[in-house]
Amino acid sequence: MSEAILSRNFNIPDAHKLSVAEPRGAYETARKVIGALKPEEVTNTVLASNLRGLGGAGFPTGKKWQFIPKDSKKPVYLVINADEGEPGTCKDRYILEKDPHQLIEGILISAYAIGSHKAYIYIRGEYVLPYRNLQSAVDEAYAKGYLGKSVFGSGYAMDLVVHRGAGAYICGEETSLLNSLEGKRGYPRLKPPFPAIVGLFGCPTIINNVETIACVPHILKNGAAWFTALGSPGNGGTHLFSVSGHVEKPGVYELPMGVPLRDLIYKYAGGVKGGRALKAVIPGGMSAKILKADEIDVKMDYDGLKAAGTMLGSAGVMVMDETVCMVKMLYYATKFFSHESCGQCSPCREGTGWAHKLVTRIYRGEGSVKDLDTLLTIARNMEGRTICVFADAAAWPIQSYITKFRAEFEDYIVSGRGKAVAAELEAAGAHAH
Amino acid sequence: MGYKGKACDKPAPDFSSKLKALDAQAELIVAKYDQKSAATLTLLHLAQDACGYVTPEIEQWVARWADVTPVHVHGVVTFYSMYHQAPVGRHHIRFCTTTSCVLNGSEDLLGHVKKKLGIQNGGVTPDGKYSLEESECLCACDQAPVMQVGDDYHSQLTAKKIDRILDGLK
Ligand SMILES: Cc1cc2nc3c(=O)[nH]c(=O)nc-3n(C[C@H](O)[C@H](O)[C@H](O)COP(=O)(O)O)c2cc1C
Ligand code: FES
Repeated sequence: MSEAILSRNFNIPDAHKLSVAEPRGAYETARKVIGALKPEEVTNTVLASNLRGLGGAGFPTGKKWQFIPKDSKKPVYLVINADEGEPGTCKDRYILEKDPHQLIEGILISAYAIGSHKAYIYIRGEYVLPYRNLQSAVDEAYAKGYLGKSVFGSGYAMDLVVHRGAGAYICGEETSLLNSLEGKRGYPRLKPPFPAIVGLFGCPTIINNVETIACVPHILKNGAAWFTALGSPGNGGTHLFSVSGHVEKPGVYELPMGVPLRDLIYKYAGGVKGGRALKAVIPGGMSAKILKADEIDVKMDYDGLKAAGTMLGSAGVMVMDETVCMVKMLYYATKFFSHESCGQCSPCREGTGWAHKLVTRIYRGEGSVKDLDTLLTIARNMEGRTICVFADAAAWPIQSYITKFRAEFEDYIVSGRGKAVAAELEAAGAHAH
Repeated sequence: MGYKGKACDKPAPDFSSKLKALDAQAELIVAKYDQKSAATLTLLHLAQDACGYVTPEIEQWVARWADVTPVHVHGVVTFYSMYHQAPVGRHHIRFCTTTSCVLNGSEDLLGHVKKKLGIQNGGVTPDGKYSLEESECLCACDQAPVMQVGDDYHSQLTAKKIDRILDGLK
């Protein structure tokens, strides 16, 4: 495994406490940066590092920061997206729970760069232990004067509030998150205006993912060139890859951007469970298009996966072996999206519900081959027609599973074996509704 | 929007003294935010943790502190899966039913839980001890199959492990 940077404290007992984190280097860089460098210098270093947002969209972080209007009369906010919810992804949880001071240090430096004196961390409601560790780290930082009226005695004021979500996947979408943080239903907002201009409470706001911000101290410490060299062209640094499903050693692996997917599965995660053959891989969380076993010779970075017709997304890698039924997998995918659609836009609300109904019918042995084409039509009509890209994300599994495994879907329908599957599930009382 | 407990059909208990005891904390919470309304979710968490679920009385209490209408608060309560509008069990189980957990056998394990407790999704055992919610990905997929009981995550579940965890609760 390559050098552990973001994950270097994950296996250190009690590293969420300042007494352990500080001797291991926490806040060293922030102390050197704040007040000593100009904010533009910080932003330029981050820009030059090729750091790209690790929440899923891969937007260059330094470039995003530059969208904040100069000399804004209104306060500027930094909002940290810790709403981790993309199925297959479990990376931010490790930072929040095991090394929250790393995140707080990143927040200090990033807020300083954009001229913000107040940051909010929006953490998903189910993450109770990570919340507790994070909140106690924030309390420790306040007690030491690393947060508050004069950070490290520099005169720079910085407040940080940890805000708990309440169970809605959509709130990971940045504008939905802002509404939720303002105490409303988490409905995504129309863009433009972009949050950098009109964000939280109508003020200029930068929203970044937990892992993105955790990279910042390391970039400032070791330099942009160092960070760039760690990754692949245009994709700086390392990334926390969550690997789950049918592998021998599921886990979160910190590896350079651009690591071959094949290596991730076979070299790091120990290969397919039980030595079985690989059938398919979802490379970037539930929303990413699926790859067949013969499509895994791709580089795990934003550009590599885009070229392969899918996306890096949140780098949640879900591995499926030869025994997996794709109809069942699509059933669970459409269940997720129909469950989590916020209902604001009709194509999404109706489309995800209708698609799940059709897939359920197929899964239970009551579907027809014609349903497959209806599903593809529904998916096509969901793309690009809604306020946020949730509907697009819901369309991609439908399209990719059915197109890449069409023969299996047809065989499942024609053979009628769904009836037996339904009976089995009924007997086990297991069916998820 | 995830599991939503049905609105309660029994008359809601009087939570006024419990809420009164939370007033001091509510004041501190509201002060942390740049706008009072932003405290809505946090106040709901606070009240639900103390009272078990959210009643119209609680919605009004939150509305007063957050300076919004009770209707606004109700809209928030119904949007988010973690707010309950009816009592749940002393031990509320969120059982992950998403892809990585399914790949690791969560369907059978969910069946096991349902049979063991004699309840379905959204159900509460007659003694009020357990309630069950089929949830979407809890984002501990590297440890699948996963469930959350109360605040705590339990991972790499087997039927035996589930029995041990659930039977061990008071
Ligand atoms: C439906 C949906 C869900 C999302 N969920 C998350 C999430 O859980 N965490 C996250 O950091 N970004 C999530 N995003 C991406 C955010 O909208 C946003 O791009 C990101 O927080 C920006 O930070 P970054 O530039 O550091 O990646 C989601 C986007 C969509 C459309
Ligand atoms: S799929 Fe169950 S925790 Fe992610």
